[in-house]
Amino acid sequence: MNESVRVISVLPDLLGTYGDSGNAVVACRRLALRGYRVELVIADLKTRIPFDGDFYLIGGGEDAPQAKAAELLAVDAPVERAIDGGAALLAVCAGFQILGTSFIGPDLKPRAGIGLFPCKTHRFDGPRSVGELIVDPGRDIPGVPLLSGYENHQGVTELLDGANPLGTVLVGKGNNFEAKVDGALEGRAIGTYMHGPVFARNPKLCDHFLSMVVGTMSPLEDVSLENAHKKLYDERIKEVYKG
Amino acid sequence: MKRVIPEANAKIAVAISRIVSQFVRRLGVGEGATLPGRILLRLYPQAMVELSRYLPVVLISGTNAKTTTTALAKEALSGSFEVVSNVTGANMEGGVAFALAEGGVRPDGRSLGIFEVDEAYLPIIGSQLETKVVALLNLSRDQLDRVSETRMTSGKWKAFLKEYPHVKVVANCDDPLIVFAAEGSASVLWVSAGLNFVLDARSCPVCGEEIEFATGQWRCSCGFKRPQADIEVNGKMIAIRDNKIEMELALPGRCNVANSAIVLGICDLLGVDLISAARRMSYVSEVAGRYRRVAVNGHQVRMLLSKNPAGWLEVFDMVGEDPSVVVAINAQVADGRDPSWLWDVPFELLRGKEVFASGERAYDLSVRLHYADIPHVVLKDSLDALRSCSNRDVSFVGNYTSFQELRKRLSGGGNPLINGIRKLGNRVLK
Ligand SMILES: [Zn+2]
Repeated sequence: MNESVRVISVLPDLLGTYGDSGNAVVACRRLALRGYRVELVIADLKTRIPFDGDFYLIGGGEDAPQAKAAELLAVDAPVERAIDGGAALLAVCAGFQILGTSFIGPDLKPRAGIGLFPCKTHRFDGPRSVGELIVDPGRDIPGVPLLSGYENHQGVTELLDGANPLGTVLVGKGNNFEAKVDGALEGRAIGTYMHGPVFARNPKLCDHFLSMVVGTMSPLEDVSLENAHKKLYDERIKEVYKG
Repeated sequence: MKRVIPEANAKIAVAISRIVSQFVRRLGVGEGATLPGRILLRLYPQAMVELSRYLPVVLISGTNAKTTTTALAKEALSGSFEVVSNVTGANMEGGVAFALAEGGVRPDGRSLGIFEVDEAYLPIIGSQLETKVVALLNLSRDQLDRVSETRMTSGKWKAFLKEYPHVKVVANCDDPLIVFAAEGSASVLWVSAGLNFVLDARSCPVCGEEIEFATGQWRCSCGFKRPQADIEVNGKMIAIRDNKIEMELALPGRCNVANSAIVLGICDLLGVDLISAARRMSYVSEVAGRYRRVAVNGHQVRMLLSKNPAGWLEVFDMVGEDPSVVVAINAQVADGRDPSWLWDVPFELLRGKEVFASGERAYDLSVRLHYADIPHVVLKDSLDALRSCSNRDVSFVGNYTSFQELRKRLSGGGNPLINGIRKLGNRVLK
């Protein structure tokens, strides 16, 4: 197999504060280990965001860069066009917020988002949501067990009519305190508050994400890598339930 | 908290905090400044203001190199002043208050306070003391679960400097977030102290556009640009006005030359002879246990502390030729509870070395190292890892609590009873 795929790391210089660029590293490697020819495009401030990628990865960041990223993504709608064309997208934290219908700018006023996810984000008046997050993705993501990540945000995201969450929050806050859900799942687009980075913590979520574009993912033969993942995953879940 | 307490009670508060400090140090659960400082401030809320009256103060802040720069400054300036300092690294309100209590300041014009200050606390502490000089080193991602985002910190510093126009500033002109903050002051001495972690500085703090970086320069289309340096660092040479000073530091790494340049800036503002200040700095060979080599079962272990991506870039320089590296990562409160930042560190640079992944979060590190293609062994106990190295020269790199933990164990903490008490104490102090 020598199929080639393009992974687009979207504006990591604006939205890359919490190690989320690791998601691109994990995705690329897991594709390469399965024989795909992978091209990683770092679509930074200087680059036009391509329309023809297969996987789009957007991370978290600070308020001002977040607003700037939303402005850039609104020009020529590269992400929406790519998804219409069959690409998959992962958006984390601030990246998730700007892909909703509205989010809060650094001036504390609401701003229009990209509208990919039917959800809007307000700013929570109380303390930041910070800590380990465990999410049950239910049956929407077959074969994926509980998801584990680390959240760190001031947002309260409200899912609008017709929106699906990524999963049910078992530990932590996620989108908001009442609904007890995290993120959003919209076709091939995944939004979440989970850092860690989320693919490093949950390789099965990564494989599911990849399979949405390139089809079934065979198990990896790199036993040592998968063991390392399993140890980290088991330890995080155990630690959180113990504490 | 404007409760005025009689002088006798103030003395009692100071005495109690000292006793607690002694106790903490005896138990070996800490450096003995943080908890006593908190107790002192609880009993004597205006301790900071009262104890520092007539004491001119230099404050040093930034994400990285605060402790080292403070130690260099203490050494450089102690030829000219009686220095009061918080060299143990307790850098929030309590730590500074306790250092003042311990210092026993005399209003004789010979005393000088030199304090490293946590980024988030610089305005709070700076406004309570007789702050003369503030040194601003760098700002980058660190402990995002606790410290607010770097842009917010930079804005708060700027507001503080605007409010206190008599405060003089020594600032790193290579870091845009530092320049943004320092421009709040009318009196800045700019030092080209370098910036090697550019990622947090890419978007302009003024307008959000991309800053263009070129060698020794940066500028944004909005007009925000790198100021002309007053103090230039070039290899080991520091050029300050007409002086060219060659630094021969015992401390390793390029970053420590830059730190010493910041200190020379402070010395210049205080009218201290630069040549003798430089000489004094060259004697510093360790800072709170960092940088020195210790013997562990026949290995020569260089003790390094690094707690975030920017710090790691300096560490790769200091690890140098050591063929074995033990990396220990914890995620206690003092470290930041989220080690996601490991993915912002180019661990690929360790290729070719024998690497051990240690600490409470060794598995997070192990996954990261796998994706960096670095063969490694996971041994959660860092002392076991050091003993397992197959080479003599080893670099140990820990983040905050993993470093402190190893340091304590190496300083003879073999007694299981004492270790148990330490663990308990650490939990209480958390
Ligand atoms: Zn600008």
